[in-house]
Order: sequence, then structure tokens, then C-alpha cells
Amino acid sequence: MPAFWIVLIVLGIAVAGFVLGRSRALNAVIGDRRDLHSLPNYYGWNAALKGVVPALGLLAIWLILQPMLIERAVTGLVSEQAIAEERDLGLVLADVRRVAAGLDAAVAQGLLSGDAARDLSTASDDIRATLATAGVALGSDVQPAVLAAAQRFRVLSGQAGLVMVALVLAISAGGTLYGLREVRPDFRARNVVEQGIRAILIGAACIAILTTVGIVLSLVFNTIEFFRLYPAADFFFSTTWSPSFGGGSELGILPLLWGTLYISLIALLVAVPIGLFAAVYLSEYATKRVRSVAKPAIEILAGIPTIVYGLFALLTVGPLLMKVFGDDGLGWMQAGTAVMTAGLVMGIMLIPFVSSLSDDIINAVPQALRDGSYGLGATQSETIRQVILPAALPGIVGAILLAASRAIGETMIVVLGAGAAARMELNPFEAMTTVTAKIVSQLTGDADFASPEALVAFALGMTLFVITLGLNVLALYIVRKYREQYE
Amino acid sequence: MYDTASRLEGQVSATDIKIAARDVQVFYGDNHAIKDVSVDIQDKTVTAFIGPSGCGKSTFLRCLNRMNDTIDIARIEGEILIDGEDIYDKRVDPVQLRAKVGMVFQKPNPFPKSIFDNVAYGPKIHGLSKTRADLDDIVERALRRAALWDEVKDRLTAPGTGLSGGQQQRLCIARAVATEPEVLLMDEPCSALDPIATGQVEELIDELRQDYSVVIVTHSMQQAARVSQKTAFFHLGSLVEYDTTDKIFTNPQDSRTESYITGRIG
Repeated sequence: MPAFWIVLIVLGIAVAGFVLGRSRALNAVIGDRRDLHSLPNYYGWNAALKGVVPALGLLAIWLILQPMLIERAVTGLVSEQAIAEERDLGLVLADVRRVAAGLDAAVAQGLLSGDAARDLSTASDDIRATLATAGVALGSDVQPAVLAAAQRFRVLSGQAGLVMVALVLAISAGGTLYGLREVRPDFRARNVVEQGIRAILIGAACIAILTTVGIVLSLVFNTIEFFRLYPAADFFFSTTWSPSFGGGSELGILPLLWGTLYISLIALLVAVPIGLFAAVYLSEYATKRVRSVAKPAIEILAGIPTIVYGLFALLTVGPLLMKVFGDDGLGWMQAGTAVMTAGLVMGIMLIPFVSSLSDDIINAVPQALRDGSYGLGATQSETIRQVILPAALPGIVGAILLAASRAIGETMIVVLGAGAAARMELNPFEAMTTVTAKIVSQLTGDADFASPEALVAFALGMTLFVITLGLNVLALYIVRKYREQYE
Repeated sequence: MYDTASRLEGQVSATDIKIAARDVQVFYGDNHAIKDVSVDIQDKTVTAFIGPSGCGKSTFLRCLNRMNDTIDIARIEGEILIDGEDIYDKRVDPVQLRAKVGMVFQKPNPFPKSIFDNVAYGPKIHGLSKTRADLDDIVERALRRAALWDEVKDRLTAPGTGLSGGQQQRLCIARAVATEPEVLLMDEPCSALDPIATGQVEELIDELRQDYSVVIVTHSMQQAARVSQKTAFFHLGSLVEYDTTDKIFTNPQDSRTESYITGRIG
């Protein structure tokens, strides 16, 4: 039974629990709800929560653990073959999963009867052809060991699925019944529901945190794997980036880091002055009406998908720069894709980050400081330059650092606007590339996933992660320190 | 304390009129905040504005250096002359005016700069000093006038926000004095201070009277009686009574004034 139906049934049980719990509570006091400790709805919620939360929790854990446990159980059947063929065990197991899924699909589509699927043998049947008609394409003919493992996989999955359905529904019904039994006038349902809600909220927070931990761990493990295949010193200090999928690649991060930082620098040179001046205008000079129109208009820039910025770079800004700096003009630029193209467009993308955050920070400077300055006969721009900006400076620096970490992690604009050549040059009209763009190209290529050419993506990602994390922490630290000043 | 006030009044009887307001009206949007206020404020005198909250005394004070210009919805009618010149005339630059009419606010608002830079702020933007030594001199004089010099002379580079409340307010007074204004407006300068700091600021106000015309808004009638020579009583946006402090507090002409100073209204 698919998980979707189980969830629906569990929710149905919970609704029944709610209705029953509520009416039981009312019956317990013969209609006078003032004798109840809590409002009747709380008794209903108590029963419903007890029916839903443990059951769905178990369902989630089961769905995560089941494939891992079953895979471990069938590993023994195929490990000898994997060793014989010198193939990676993970790849063989992937084959097993595909065959099992293919057989399930074939049965579901009526191509095979349930018994026929169970009795298949590699000798008498063309399994590959059968599965191809069911929509599952296999790379090679099915080996006997793989088929056996796939059959075992199907059996175990079927059994485990049945046990899971039974357990989940039993726990749901049991929880609901327990919640209903608890209904007595002096039962503190309101407090119990409060705790239940707290548990749900904690669960949501935990999922967010655990996912982050999971992402970091996957980065870390793959990075370690990469450094086992490729020397770390070469990765960090080599100035050549030339991956070749036949082996013998040079994977030095320095040219990529240089491209990243160069493009980010140009982006910040565009975004910081424009964003800051826009923020000063909006918060200090603009009338309420102008502000109510202009601020959302600038923030629309933040809502444009970065791929659209990439197109803008490729189709508009690049050719425009070519006209001025290309062969027809100053002759500094060879092609439309260049550090300058990507940097300018990325700078435009960052304007709303800088302006919106700085605007909030400038607005947070107390009016008393402005009054004090005007009261001494200072003009508006003197006040802004000498009192407001210095007071807001830590916050503005924080905003700029956040924008910088955005710039460093930006991908699409670079892929489309900056070119793909990894080099370390000073001319901003040359094509260069960044860490993020290379992660894309390394992982979308045909490389074997276990090769250093693919795994380098994780090392690059890890490096990027550490840099942006450091910038974010620094920015938050500065912003927080600034907040304390006025509170 | 009433004796002190009456003794001081003798010395000011013959001074000139510094600020003359005629039929001043202030509107905040549709709200008529000040109605027909006419008042003559004398030079080298401390004038106190008293009255219940919301009576318009702070609003009127802010008209005198055009601080209400920074509020979009405020509209002012009538005529305010300082030294015979209409400050709402188109030719008058409000920025120049505010250099001449300094202001000290209710809550101490030192800039997030060093003590020295706080005081040097006005002189710098108005170009009052030619050399660094000049500026040092101006800062020292202003801090001495504000009776703060001895407390801060060893830490002029420390941030002004690190001082105590009373010191901060005296720093703000020093900051206003450093610009060498002719009139000093004070909007409840002691309301955020403890009694000791209040005493220091009041003493200071009395000294400033030697050179400036001081206008002070206060909620404390004792303070008005202690520091001022003339008192104006505002009620619901109108100027009810304006006379020597002694007369207002001992023999008020208007029944509303009497009710207020005896604590029956307000």
C-alpha cells in the first residue's frame, strides 16, 4: 500500500478520534462544559494528536530505514559476483534495485503475472526485453546472481511493507484509543495538547537542522574520498585547472578561486555604491509616496530568477560590452563572455540586497540623532555623511558581507556570462570561470562518479561552503554587535 | 527659591526683545496645534514655557528654529522675528538659522562619536575654526561652559555615548554652545536626568543667561520657578498668560494658570 494511502487512513482515524474525544468529554460532564478542565476541543485534539504523531513518525523512520536494511540483506547474494567482475558493489546493488523495480512495474502493467515474475530465470527468459517493454531500460543482460538478489529484494520489500502498514495503523488506532480513554473532566487536555504542539514544532526544527547536517556530511565524506585519490596540496596550491576524463588531470583550485573573487569584486563595486546611495535616498530624502513605490520596485530585482540575469548577461550586456571594448572598439575584449559581463550583471542582482538591508539599518538610526544634527545647523547631507552613516556603518558592512557571500555562491550568471576558461589573469575583459560554474560542469559530464574528476566537485563545494559560511558568520556577528548599541 | 527669581528679575528689566512672535498658528495636518500665539522673548533672559502635556509648548519651541520643517505635515502661519528678521522669510536658510538658534533635546542624544568630535561637530561644519589649535580651544571652552571639562578632559577620545545621563546632557549643551548660538532652546532638558544632574544643568542654564537668550520647556513648575525670569503658560494650544516668573507663580491673572500651578489641572 503506498504511503499516501496510509497517511490518509491515519488522518481519518485522527478525525474520528477528534470527534469522539470531543463528544466523550461533553458526555462525561453531562453537557455542562464548565466542569471540564479544558475546552471540549482540546480533548478531541488530544486524541487526534496521539493518533497521528507517533504513527506518522514511525512511518517516516520506517521508510528511511527499510531500503538500507533490505539492501544489506541482499548484499551477500551479489558481493561475490561484484568481486568477480571487478565492479563497484554500489553499482551492482543499483542494478538489483532497477531489476526489482522493473519486475514490479511489469507486474503492475500486466506484462507478467505475479507467479511468472517469481519464476523467471535468466536462462529461459529474456528479462531485459520484458523489462524494456515495461519501461525500465537495463544497460546489460541480467546476471543470475543479480536476478536472485532482485527476487529476494522484492520478497523482503513486500513483507516489510505489510508489516509496516499493520504496525502504523495499529499504533494510530492504539494512540487514538489511549487518548479517548484519558478523557475525564479533570484531565488537563489543554496542557497536554500544548506539549504535543511543542513536540511538533521541535520536530520541524530538527528536520531543518538534520538536513543541513546531512548535506555537510555528504560533502565531507565525498571530499575525503577525493583527497584520497588526489593530493590535497595540489588541489589547494596548483595554478592549473585542466581536468581530462582519461586521467592525469590537474585540478588546482586557485584559478577558479581567482575567477570567483574577481567577478565578486566587480559585482560588489557595482552593487555597493548604487545600493547604498539608493538606500540613503529612500530612507532620508524620498517622500512617503515615492518610497512606497520605489522600495518594492527595487526589491523586484531580488525576485528575478538568476537564470534570467544569465540570459541578460549573455544576450544584452555581453554584446553591448563587445561594441565598446571588442575588436571594433578598444580591442580589449575577445568575446561577449567575460569577467566584466558577469560582474556587472551580478552587481545589478545584488543591488536590492545591499539597498534593502542598508535601508532598514539606516531607518533604525534613532531620529534623535538626526534632530541633534539638524539642531546644530547641519544640512541633510552633512547629517547623513557625518552622523547617520557612521552610526549605521557596522550594519552596512554586515549587509555588504551578506551580498558578497551571495556573489561568491552565484552560479547561473557565471555559467552564461563569464565563459568557461579557468585562468588567472588581470584583464577583466577575458573570459574566466568560477568555482560554482566548474562544479556544474564536473558533475554534469560523463565522468565516472568515483573518479577524481567528478569528486573534485565536492571538494570545490566544500571550499565554497567554508568561505561563504565564514562570511555569513562574520556578517551576522557584526550586525548583532551593532544591534546592541541602540537596545 | 522664589526670592532668587525675583532678585534676578530686577537685572533684566531693561533688556531688548530677541524673539518676537505674532499670531503664530501651527497645524499638523488637520490638527490645529498652536492658536494665535504672540510673545516677546527678551535677550539674556531665561524664559520658561510651562503647561500640561500636549499643550503645544514643545511645538512652539520647535517653531523658533524651524525644526518643524523636518515634519512633512506641519504647517506654520504668522510671523516670528529674531532680531527683527522674519525667520520664515523665503530668503532665510533654515540651516543658517539653526546655527544661530541652538537646541538641546529632551533625551540626551550624543552622536556615536568621541566626546571631542561631538563638541567639534558644529564648529567644523560651520567653519568656525581655522586651525586645529583653534578647534581644541573652542571645544575646551564649550566643555568648560557646560561644566563638563574637568570630568572628561582626560578622555576626550572616549565615545560620548559612554558618559552618564547627566554628563551626556551636558555634552549636548556643550555641543550646542560650541556653535556660538545667540538663542538656546531647551526642550525639557532635565526630564531624563536624576536630581543631582538636574541641579547641575539648572546651574548651567543660569550661567548661560549671561550671553544667551535661553528658552526652556519644562514640566516641573519648581524648575521654571528656579531657573527662569519670565514664564509663559500654554493651555490647549493657546498662550494663556505670559509675565515675569514671580508674578505667574505668586499672582496669576488667569484662573487657568492658577489652577495649573496649584495642581488642579494638568
